[in-house]
Formats: sequence, structure tokens, C-alpha cells
Amino acid sequence: MIELSGVGKIFPGGEGGFIALDHIDLSLPAGEFVAIVGKSGSGKSTLINLIAGIDRPSSGGIRVSGTMVNELDESRLAAWRGRNVGVVFQSFQLLPTLTILENVMLPMDFCQTLPPQQARERALRLLAQVGVADQADKLPSGLSGGQQQRAAIARALANDPPLIVADEPTGNLDSHTAQAVLQLLANLAQAGKTVLMVTHERDMTQFADRIVTLADGKVVAQTATAGHARRLPREVAYA
Amino acid sequence: MKLTPGTHLLSPRWIKLIRDLQAEKERMLFMLLAITVSLIAVGAVLGGYAVLTREIAANYLGTRPFHATLELPGGGGADVLTLARQHPAIQDAEARDVVLARADVDGNWRSLLLFVIDDFAAMRGNTFTPLTGAWPPATGSMLIERTAISMLNADVGGRVRVKTAHGTVREVPVTGLVHDPGLAPAWQERSGYGYITRDTLAALGEAPLLHELRISLRDPAASSQAIETVAADLARQLAERGQTVHEIRVPPPRQHPHQRQMTTILFMMFAFSLMALVLSGILVATSLNAMLARQVREIGVMKAIGARTAQIARMYALLVAAIGVAAVAVAIPVGLAGSQVLARAVANLLNFSIADASVPIWVFGVQVLAGILVPLLIAALPIRRASRMSVNVAITQHGVGSDSLRLRTAKLPWPMRNALRRPARLVLTVGLLAAGGAMFMTALNVSNSWERNIAKVYETRHYDVEVRFHEAQATAVAQRILAVPGVTAVEAWGYSPTAFAKQGQVDVVRTYPDRGHASFALLAPPAGTRLVDFPVLAGRWLKPDDTDAVVLNHAAAAQAPQLRVGDRVDLSIDGKATSWRIAGIVEEIGSAGVAYVTDQAFARIAGLPGQARMLRVATQAGASDARTAIIRAIEQRLAGDGVGVENAMPLAELRTAMADHIVILIRSLVALAAVMAAVGALGLSSAMSVSVLERTREFGVMKTIGATPARIIRLVVAESFFIGALSWIAALIVSVPLTWLVDTLVGNLGFVAPLPFVIAPGPPLMWLVLVAVVALIATLVPARRASQMSVAGALVQL
Repeated sequence: MIELSGVGKIFPGGEGGFIALDHIDLSLPAGEFVAIVGKSGSGKSTLINLIAGIDRPSSGGIRVSGTMVNELDESRLAAWRGRNVGVVFQSFQLLPTLTILENVMLPMDFCQTLPPQQARERALRLLAQVGVADQADKLPSGLSGGQQQRAAIARALANDPPLIVADEPTGNLDSHTAQAVLQLLANLAQAGKTVLMVTHERDMTQFADRIVTLADGKVVAQTATAGHARRLPREVAYA
Repeated sequence: MKLTPGTHLLSPRWIKLIRDLQAEKERMLFMLLAITVSLIAVGAVLGGYAVLTREIAANYLGTRPFHATLELPGGGGADVLTLARQHPAIQDAEARDVVLARADVDGNWRSLLLFVIDDFAAMRGNTFTPLTGAWPPATGSMLIERTAISMLNADVGGRVRVKTAHGTVREVPVTGLVHDPGLAPAWQERSGYGYITRDTLAALGEAPLLHELRISLRDPAASSQAIETVAADLARQLAERGQTVHEIRVPPPRQHPHQRQMTTILFMMFAFSLMALVLSGILVATSLNAMLARQVREIGVMKAIGARTAQIARMYALLVAAIGVAAVAVAIPVGLAGSQVLARAVANLLNFSIADASVPIWVFGVQVLAGILVPLLIAALPIRRASRMSVNVAITQHGVGSDSLRLRTAKLPWPMRNALRRPARLVLTVGLLAAGGAMFMTALNVSNSWERNIAKVYETRHYDVEVRFHEAQATAVAQRILAVPGVTAVEAWGYSPTAFAKQGQVDVVRTYPDRGHASFALLAPPAGTRLVDFPVLAGRWLKPDDTDAVVLNHAAAAQAPQLRVGDRVDLSIDGKATSWRIAGIVEEIGSAGVAYVTDQAFARIAGLPGQARMLRVATQAGASDARTAIIRAIEQRLAGDGVGVENAMPLAELRTAMADHIVILIRSLVALAAVMAAVGALGLSSAMSVSVLERTREFGVMKTIGATPARIIRLVVAESFFIGALSWIAALIVSVPLTWLVDTLVGNLGFVAPLPFVIAPGPPLMWLVLVAVVALIATLVPARRASQMSVAGALVQL
């Protein structure tokens, strides 16, 4: 369960700063695939950054699965983020000097969730589940965009976090690959993860259970959809 | 370690670090090189210092230097020795003598100090060790000090023609070689050192008397004051028994005559080495800062997937520590070798033998700590800043920005604006280069100051040759010498050894047994002398009608620092205290302590009217050969007149002696300046290559809108020149007070007076050229690479 109460975010600059989010009150149930949509500059990326603990609100409170995220200090926040949030970026952000396998192992290394051998086995399993196990020993530069994003999703799953946030995960992909990535994210929600996805393309919301629409830093609409109909059967589990 | 994809020996974060190292190997090499070079300097200097300080004990103190020497005009017999040895504070005593003779070296007379030993097998102090040949020397022969071979142009088996004050010229065979660590090298003092028995002294025509009673105290660590007290007490007891003590000599206890020079050299070298290390640390911080700037996004990603600030900081701190460890691994053996070279060079300056060249373990400990801790401490700030950056800020950062550019720079040329985009890095780079440049210029300035100092020897003295007589001669001798072809001016001067006298007490001087170091003399130039022209530091120079005025040179003034112009001072002449009023203090480079009085006043006080002990002669000789010929002619004229010459020294010898005393310091300074320059150049290279790499994408954009590769190269090179110019100005400004400081320090520590402050155009110009060349080389390669990259390739960077 994600709860935001009176969340505001003001970025410095200009007179009084730039208001990215304006007193947002929002409740999102666990286990849903939530698409956050809106025009450029509407505050959608800022919103998921705050929920993921990547940024801090200027005002208000954010509770994720019972934890007041905005009250954690930097060190606790990093530890919480490592174990509770999987982040998928638009430009993949795989570390260029690590292989795909090593990239997936990295969160387990930082959070010390598994010893190296078990971490390696789990990383291989996750890569197999997203369909790029055969690329495990390649550097990111040797993979296509779609393969890199799949690997990034595997990395986001490394510590088995209950929450996955994805900021424009299909923004750098062709439509066919984008569909496949969306399917992957939908399946995660099907498997019980909460997935928050930012997108500015309406047609990318087809898999979502809920669509939150932002405009000028405010939630202007929140609608439940039938997107879940496209998901794979629930028994496809992500370890 | 080469980590290829698929290697899983380590956890991913360390694999990342190692691959980052591989990817940035050029910059890492810069850092490694800078720290290694500095650490080598630190190791060499500290190691050399450790070896030398230990070897001082083994060499100089190993000679068991006597604490004091009492000059007995009547010679010391067995009764004197017995009395001395019975004194409760005295450990031992021995009678010795030092005779100033002359040696014929290829037709030229050179001064020769003959050390007369009563019993070579039973020396109680001021010992020396036989190296080759006979021991003890047979009557009629002599041993020579190992450093005197070149001065006498004679070795074991050779013969030296020797003339003493009262004897005729005798051929003395050299039968052995000794090492006397208590003496400065003969080649520095421009004198020969011989060791003879009392019988040989008699054979050379001198009375076989030993005029020196040398004593050592029971307390080996006795202060100068305590030594003086004991020596004065012994002098009183001797006087009660009718034995006159003319003078007491108490050289600085436990201190080699050249120890101050050694301390100065090592201090300067250590200070410069430390600065080089700090500069290297700054270079590490600059390079690391640049590397972190390139990795900001990766840091953001790592934090986003769970890395904590401490984990990130630890990764990069370990990287810096690893560079430090690698530098230490190289620097320790090379520094060790450097310490051996340095120790031997300085030992040569001090006439030491290095018996044990091993470097103590603490030196390596310091190297390890300095090599790892200094870069870590300096890199702590950029590491802290990068690792604490918020995820959001880190992830959204794109290459080089201009957010931090708050200066009003819009009107500046574009290359300058580019350089100002990263003010913190600019400050570090300029600071690094400026520090290197400032030290480079300072070292060369000090070197020039020293040259200027030596030049003063000639500028303030307008004579070529100084001739001292054994006995006072009629001043008319000057007219006869003026008639020697090539002689242009002659002045007859009064001369007497002197001391600051205390009423009712025996004179105490600081002179070493070689009679040269820390000596003090009274000189009496004729009224209106034209042969010296010393700069007046306080008061005035002598006037012809002065009757009780004395002018001290700065070395003499330093022996009695409480004295001021206008004070009265008692100076001893032949054991009699004479009272003078200090009229002035002059700077006299290259001389021991001298008090100047008018010849009239001196003649009256010394009871030697119309007589002189010394001639100062100006010649028209332009080269040393011509001068040597004139000196020979002077010697012949004096010999023909039956005048006994104690010494005839060309002024060039004084200059050579001075240069030889300090040459190693100047060479060391210049070598360290080169290290500084190298570190500074590495800093600029590193910063510029980073700056270019960071902006590869920007260059791609520029190319899409029409910029040619040549235009991009010009832009980057201009930026590099701008940074170089900024650093040059800063270096020039810093070098001025730094030069003054080092001039003062070196001059005061080594030579009692500050070196002349010289800021010549050469060093700044040299540094300017060097900076320009480095800026060009550092920038050209990466700028060329960036300019030739395809637009598409450039745009995907960063």
C-alpha cells in the first residue's frame, strides 16, 4: 500500500522555485500495475522518484508498506530502497563496465542479501525469466535496447522488492520491444509486485490496472482499467 | 589484474572498480606517477637524513672530538697534562699542535695544515683512522688526509715539498693515507692536511713544542657554557703554575663544522619533498574529482539500486588507497636507492664514510603512511561530495554543466568561459600548476641568489690575492710588490687573530681545530682602502681619523648577537683586551668573523707602527694562469727580501671554496624543482584530458552545426593556454615571497646572512615556455581524438 498525503515538491530556481508537485493526496493499493501519465513537466517522474525514495518531498508524507519513506535518513533510505524498490530507468542505466550478469548481481552485493554464488545463480535465473540469459556475460554495449531494458528489469528484481518503479521504460524502445517490456512489467504485478510506471504515451497504459493522470503537479484523474486482462496467467512467478 | 567479462572472482562492485581503473588507466598512471615521484623524493630525503644523522655519530663523534683546546704559547709538557687529567670535570687531555705550513703543488704554494701528534698509538681524542700505508709515520714523513690528495697532487709513495714558518723547504714523503672525519674535506677548504710526529716537526725546522692542550669533559653532552667554565678553571690553575694560556677554543659541541650546511640541505629537501607529496595528493584529488564527475550517473544508479553512501565512498577510497599502495611499492626500493646516493653525496660534503647505509624501518613506515594517507586525506572531499550526492541529482546530471558558474563571464572569450565552467576544478588545476611553478621558480631563483651571493665575493673585494706573513713586515714591502709586473695595486693591512674579550679572563673563541671554521680576526686596512667595499648593514664604514671605531662583519656580529652599533666591545689582541666602539656592521660574503679597525689605531694598540701582517694585491690578470704567474713573481720577490709567507691565496680559491660548500644544495633544489614541474605538468595534462573527454558530446553537437575539427582543437588548446596563463601568474606571485623565505632560510642557516633576493626573468620565462608546451601536449592528443570522432559517436558519449 502506497499512501501520499499533502506531498509537495518545489525545485529551487526562479521566484519562489518551481512547483513540481502541489499537495498530492494519493493511495495506491499493493499488487497493482499503476500507470502514471501526464504531459511533459506534469510532475510524474518527480512523483515516482519521491515514492521510490530517490528524491525527498518538500512537504507532506509518503508511506510505503508501512514505512514513512520521507522520514528515513540517507543511510536507512538507501538500505530501504535496496530491499524494497526496484528501479527501471528509461535509458536502462546499466553500468557499462559490468556484464549483464554482474549488473544484476550488484544490488544483492550492495544489500548483502545473498552470498556471491547464490547471487550469481539468482541473477542467472532472473535473466532467464526476462529472456536474456544467453547474454549474461556480455557488456551492456553489446546488447540491443530491448535486451538492455530486460536486463534492467532483472536487476530491479534482484532483491525481490515488493515495489517496482519504472520511469518511461519504453521510451527508448521500438513499439514491438516496448510491448514485450510492458508485458514483463504486467506479469510482475500479476506475480504480486506493485508496479508504478511513468509514461507519457497513453497507449502504453493498456496493461495497467490503474491510471493516475497528473497535470501541473496535481492528480487530475485516477481510473481503474481492464488492462490486467492482457496479463499472463498468475502462475508465472518471479522469484 | 585484467578482468574480462565473465570473471567472478570478486563481488560486482569491486569488479566495477577494477574495470574503471582499466578504463581510466591513463589518468590512473598520472596519479600513480605523481605520487610515486614524490614518495621517492620523501623516501630518499628521509632515508638519507636517517643514515647521515646516524653516521655523524659513527664518524664525527666517533673521532671523540675534544671539547676544548687551550692555546699554550710555551707548549704543554707532562706536568700540564697531569694537571689537566687531575681536574675533576676532565675526562682526558692530550697535547697537540697544528702548524700552518705551505706545500709546493706544481710550482704553486698552497696552504698545508700539519697536525702534530705526540703518540699516534695513544690518541685520546680527535682521532683519525689509517687507510693505507705506514702507521705511525716515520720521522721525516707524513700521512695525508684522503681528501687532500687532489689538493697536494700527491698520494702514498709521492713526495711533497713543505715549507714551515721557520724552516727551509723540505721534501716530505707521503707514507700513508688517513681518514679524518673531524675535518671538512680538504678540497672544500682549499688546503692540504698532513699528519706528522713531533720529531718530523723538528726536522721541518720548527721547535718541537705542542702548543695545544686539548681536553674532553667527563660529561659528553656538556654545553658550550659548561665547557668554557671548565676550560677557564683549568686555565686559571695553569696560570697559577706560571703557564700562560693565550686562548681557549670551544667549537660548537658535538657539531661537525659543516653540520649546519647539512641540516640546511636536508631541511630544504624535506620541505620540498613534502610539498611535492601534497601536490601529488592534490593531483590525485583533481583526477579523482574528474573521474567521479564522469561517474556521477553511475553513482546515482548504484544508490538507486541500494548502495549506501558509505559503500560508494569506500569503493573510491579503496581505489585511491590502491594507487597509494602501488606508488609505495615502487617508491620504497627507488627511494632507498636515492637515499644511498644522497647519503653518499652529503657524506662526501662532510668527509664522512658511510659504514652502515641501512635505512631504518621507520622511514619505510613514513613512506607507507604518507603514500596512502596523504592522497586519501586530500581525496576525501571529492569522494565525500560525490558519494553524498542525492540519487536524483546524480542521475539527471549530463556531462559537464555550467550550473556552478555564477560569475559574470558572458563577456569573456569562449575558451575562458569553458575553463570557468567548473570553478572548483579550475581552482585545483591552477593551484596545482601554480604550486609546481612557484617551487620551480623559487628553486631557480634561489640558485640565482646563490650565484649572486658568490658574485659578491668579487664585487665587494677589488683585489686578486691575499698574502699573509709569518711575522709583521714594514709596510714598505707593499711598494716593492707594486713593482712586480702585472700588479696594479697593493695595500698593507694589519692582521691579528682576535676574540671577544672579557676582562680578567682568557679569550674564548669558537674556532675548530682546523683553525678556519668559526674563526675571528682583526683586520686593519689603510685609510681609504680601495680594495674592499662591503655593503653597510648598520652604522658606517671606517673613517681615516677613527681611533677607537670598529666595524664588524656580519659573521662576527652573529657571534655576539647582543651587540649593537654604538656599543663598546672588548677585543683581544695577543691576549690583551682592547676597547672599541662599534661604528658599523657590514656584510662580507665568504669570510669568517672579522673586526675592522683603522691601520693607525691597530698599529698603536698592537705596538707595530709602520708594520703589516698582510698584503692585499690587485692584479691585471684575467685568467688563473696569469694570476698564478703573478703570485709566483710576488712570492719570489718576497723570498728574495727574506719575508716569510704564511699563505698567498688567490680570491678565486675563496670563490671555489664557497661554491663547493653549497653546490649540492643548489643541485638538489634544482632537481626538486624538476619534480615539482613534473607533478604540475601531470596535473594540467590530467585536467585537460578530462575536460576534453567530458565534453565529447558537446563537440559532437558543435560539429553538427558546422564546427571543423581544427576549430574544436583551437578552442580546447586556447582553454588550456588560459589555464596555463592563470597558473603562471599565480606561480609568479607566490614565487616572490617564497624565494625571499628560502633565501633567508638558506642564507641564515648556512651562512649567517640571507642570500641576496634575486628575481631574474629567466625562471618565469622558462616556466612559461614549459607550461605552454605542457598545455599544448596535454590538450592536443585528446582534442584531436575528440575532433575526429564521428558526430554520431560523439553524441552517444556520456
